[in-house]
Amino acid sequence: MQNLILYSLSNFIPETILVVTIIVCIIADLIIRKKSFAVTFVAIVGLVLSFVFVVKQWGLSMSIFSGMLAIDNYAVFFKLLFIISTLFILLFVETSKEMKTASHKNEHVYLILSLTTGAYLMASSVNLIMMYISLEMVSLTSYILAGYLKKDKRSTEAAIKYIIYGAASSGIMLYGMTLIYGYTATMNINEIFLYLSKNPITDTPVLLASVIMISAGFGYKISSVPFHFWTPDVYEGAPIPITAFLAVTSSAAGFSVLVRFFLVGFANTEIITAVKWQEVIIVFSIASMIIGNFVAVWQTSLKRLLAYSSIAQSGYILLGLAVVNSAGLFAVILYLSAYLFMNLGAFYVTILIHNKLGTDNMDEMDGLGYRSPFIGVTMAVFMFSLAGIPATVGFIGKFYIFSALINTNSPNLTWLAVVGLLNSVVSLFFYVKVLKHMFLNKPEKPLPELDYGYANILITLLLAVPTILFGLYFTPLLRLAENSIKIFGLN
Amino acid sequence: MDLSLISILFVILAVISIFSALMLITRKNPVTSALYLILNFFTVSGIYLLLKAQFIAIIQVMVYMGAIMVLFLFVIMLLNLRDEKNLTESFSFKKLTSVLLSITFFVLIGTTFYFGFSNINPSRQGVEEKTVEIGKATFLGEKLFTEFAMPVLIAGILLLVAIIGAVVLAKKKFDPVSPDKE
Repeated sequence: MQNLILYSLSNFIPETILVVTIIVCIIADLIIRKKSFAVTFVAIVGLVLSFVFVVKQWGLSMSIFSGMLAIDNYAVFFKLLFIISTLFILLFVETSKEMKTASHKNEHVYLILSLTTGAYLMASSVNLIMMYISLEMVSLTSYILAGYLKKDKRSTEAAIKYIIYGAASSGIMLYGMTLIYGYTATMNINEIFLYLSKNPITDTPVLLASVIMISAGFGYKISSVPFHFWTPDVYEGAPIPITAFLAVTSSAAGFSVLVRFFLVGFANTEIITAVKWQEVIIVFSIASMIIGNFVAVWQTSLKRLLAYSSIAQSGYILLGLAVVNSAGLFAVILYLSAYLFMNLGAFYVTILIHNKLGTDNMDEMDGLGYRSPFIGVTMAVFMFSLAGIPATVGFIGKFYIFSALINTNSPNLTWLAVVGLLNSVVSLFFYVKVLKHMFLNKPEKPLPELDYGYANILITLLLAVPTILFGLYFTPLLRLAENSIKIFGLN
Repeated sequence: MDLSLISILFVILAVISIFSALMLITRKNPVTSALYLILNFFTVSGIYLLLKAQFIAIIQVMVYMGAIMVLFLFVIMLLNLRDEKNLTESFSFKKLTSVLLSITFFVLIGTTFYFGFSNINPSRQGVEEKTVEIGKATFLGEKLFTEFAMPVLIAGILLLVAIIGAVVLAKKKFDPVSPDKE
């Protein structure tokens, strides 16, 4: 046993590095005692080191800590995604005025890192206990970060709302997990699958209830309808870099664990016909798309618009899971990598606008495209990508999701692709509305031009260039996605 | 359903537990609420005992009822909280909906259980056999440090993050040492 744990620890280096970095950051913060880039720098070094060791895990396939965590390409893909998004978020925080004026020193750095650690664990957990604890780690850190601007009442309100919804949904999820444990007598999802596929499934209501209850916990993380109520308020109240972090890392972590739970534990034709979780996912995804897209149309705040947009996006991603074959999973992975660049980009441009205007109300953005052409053009790129216009990476994601839906025969899901496409048309309306404010609406009186520093422009380009580049030349993404999903062994 | 002593005790404890939980969230005086919480913890530890988990039952009494509840009561008394007013006076459509939804959920779970666990699978009997061991502290300790070493470690990190969070959210002012007070 001792040897087993030591052996497991030797395959646990990326997470260990992150935890050590958190502790080093805390000590550095105590020594420096003022706002400083040094702590962020330590965090970046830790993330890069962790990146190196994560890449080394590519191609491995094993389970460590007596079946608690899995190391496979799927986990590695998500860990890379988390590292990239965390690096960007740390830079966002450095350039955001909102965070600069917060009455804290460097606490956000190690809070962000601990959220990343939790996300790492979520991506690789194959045991219900591990899933729960890592999800709580991500949630707990998110609550603190959402309430980070203590002087701002809305930020505190966001934290309180987030914690109430979070506590309720993780309670429901735990209840669902106990039901599954009572039924199968195991908490490892591989063993759950073995049990369900070997024994005749007799008590379907219990399994269905537990699957729905567990989706409440995961659905809350990915902000899918009907567990989305926290999203607009939290996104609006939290500081924008944190909002971006929640929208990308926390949501991607939710998807990683949701997909693994269903496609490892319940992906078998007999289980699907008995438990009917596919229908549950389809209902969630349709509801998310419709509510997300239609409510977004009425929003005047850019942050709330992006909140509803991410509800809708999680609906599209759930479509890929609902297909339950390798093409669908492939599309999910592709969409998430597209989502990383375009969503972070949209939020970064919002940060830049907020830095100068002090608001995210779209009526104040009239004529912004002429006051700062750079902001206008990059925002156009991200908005078109989120809407799924060709020649952007968002199109690739949507294209593969819809083609997976159309190509599957059992059951026929073409109607679902039609629903998704109609929703995309609606989404185009509100994404373009942002651009209408920036370019077509004339401000009442001429306003001065806005200048942005080289650092701001560089970070924006680092996100905008991949958004277009991967839209035109997406073979690397396809390769990555193809290798990431091999372990599931779906057809 | 067999009417053994254990099931009778369980029903009594469960009823008291639900009753105290309801009283806990409906009382206006926070001290009364806290006392009902103690009652709730007590019944829960009784249920642990029925499940042959003596060690966890004792821990529940010692940690929750002993340490945490004393802390709660102290905080309530130090803050000198008044009775919460205007909590149950207004009637709204929202409240009615939420009550109806909660009842639906409860009925759903109830029927699921009633029709659900119809026949005992052999592996579930395995779970029952394991519970004889669970009560012992040695068994628990061994499990926590071998099979469940990882969750215990992560729970440690989780607590560290929680402490940082408490400091971040509760700290009143900037450190006087730091010069930049933008």
